[in-house]
Amino acid sequence: MDAILELDFDALIVGGGIAGLQAALDLADQDYQVAVVEKDTSIGGKMIRLSKVFPTLDCSSCITTPKMAAAAHHENITIFTYCDLKSLESEGLVLTASITQRPRYVNPDKCIGCRLCEYHCPVYVADKEEGGFSARKAAYIPFSNAIPQIALIDVENCMLCGKCAKVCPTQAVDYFQEPENFTIRAKTAVLATGFELTPVENKQQYGNGEIPNVITSLQMERLLAPHGPYNRVLRPSDGMEPDAVAFIQCAGSRDKSMGISYCSRVCCMYAIKQAMLLSGSLPLADITVYYMDIRAFGKGYEQFYQNAKAMGIEFVKGKVATIDAGANDSVTLRYEDQNGEGVTSANHDMVALSLGMIPGWNPEGTCPVSTAADRFIQTIRPKIAPTRTDMEGVFVAGAAAGPKDIVDTITEAGAAAMEAAKYMTAMETARKAVA
Amino acid sequence: MSQTEKQKKEQKAAMKRLRQERKQKIKDIAATVKTQKEAVKAIKEQLQNHGGTVPQIARETGISADKVLWYIAALKKYGEISEAEKDGGYFRYILSEGSPEEIFNGQPDGSQDTK
Repeated sequence: MDAILELDFDALIVGGGIAGLQAALDLADQDYQVAVVEKDTSIGGKMIRLSKVFPTLDCSSCITTPKMAAAAHHENITIFTYCDLKSLESEGLVLTASITQRPRYVNPDKCIGCRLCEYHCPVYVADKEEGGFSARKAAYIPFSNAIPQIALIDVENCMLCGKCAKVCPTQAVDYFQEPENFTIRAKTAVLATGFELTPVENKQQYGNGEIPNVITSLQMERLLAPHGPYNRVLRPSDGMEPDAVAFIQCAGSRDKSMGISYCSRVCCMYAIKQAMLLSGSLPLADITVYYMDIRAFGKGYEQFYQNAKAMGIEFVKGKVATIDAGANDSVTLRYEDQNGEGVTSANHDMVALSLGMIPGWNPEGTCPVSTAADRFIQTIRPKIAPTRTDMEGVFVAGAAAGPKDIVDTITEAGAAAMEAAKYMTAMETARKAVA
Repeated sequence: MSQTEKQKKEQKAAMKRLRQERKQKIKDIAATVKTQKEAVKAIKEQLQNHGGTVPQIARETGISADKVLWYIAALKKYGEISEAEKDGGYFRYILSEGSPEEIFNGQPDGSQDTK
């Protein structure tokens, strides 16, 4: 049996989204050796998949891509993508992480990212990077600005026709790759495991995700992205340009029936942003936001909300009770208009659910770090050191600790990096004192 | 037998074993691919003359409109179909000029990224 590869770093960052990348860059710039472990095929996290950011309406990938490139090219950062963290344990003053590298079935050292395998692969597979609205191939590069630009083969949808291997100019295809285990030892770790959206399948009143033209907020992000599946906003059921679009707030937050009683903080602002972008791309469309109350908590956010109202976006105060399929692929909402005519209904061509945030990772069984009642990672000194966990030398950043926007995530990632650096300095001082 | 020939032979035998192991899965995927090829062929045939909107193509081919749009999005991404002018509330789609291979050669990632 082959010996398991063991690697030593100063810091381990779990998660290669914007929080993880920021923490990695801040530590690497202080000359610490950093390992970033990402479960996905590319770094960049949720942010690289967004269209624009609020309240500035800057292009999201224009902000994320330079960070991704900076991390990928930093001499002190090593990135491990498509990896699973099997365990993270403390052994004395050293943290040991057991990691499994999932097989790509493509040799990463040989692949040049030419995409010839993708072009020649005959199998179309729903592309989750595009909200399922388009297809990729079974041999593919995840998206055009993915880092690393290395192809992989979706073995669940591969029929071993051999076309990818035949056209590959560098003979990178390897159908026999196996998962590989390795160990990373580090002095400190930052957990930046991000979030997922509330599963829409859990909300029966909203159709369990089965009503045509009822989409999630991340699917709406893809429709709004200029490089999205249709390169414009179209109704997924038939390609019609929608005339009436609704956003439903608190569709997966502040809802005890879904087991999520907390507010996800960002949904109001991202829905307003999406409504504004939609208004820009479909100026004649009626856009309505159904809300319980608008939480515009950050700098410039209230003005952003007021701007949306001034643009003609309609805000209806009322919690939508049910969603049903209407005539001609429309969507019927039943709700109580709290400022108007009481219980009523409305038809829209397309509806976006502003789903809430749930933790992207459950540490149970992997790492002895505690979680709070909301299942996000618990911080033990939330007022004065909000990145500290109850595991010594392990810090948390971004949405892993609770719902937050990009601004707060990046700020917190910087704070986690500073805490980690401070911890390593203290350890080194103590070691020297003993010696 | 040279070393290279021996390696090739071993590789071939290993592939055969792998195909045997995944026999059922391969059969299922091959059936899916057959359906996909038929759908793509039918959509392209519809677009050959004047192009068409998603509901028009769906009507003519008998494929559901959401699936037609799914194929069109994919074929557009891989440079085989282009968006044309608007027709009522819908856009028309036409076949792109040149074979996919030519398009791929001229456009390294074959996509229509506007970023």
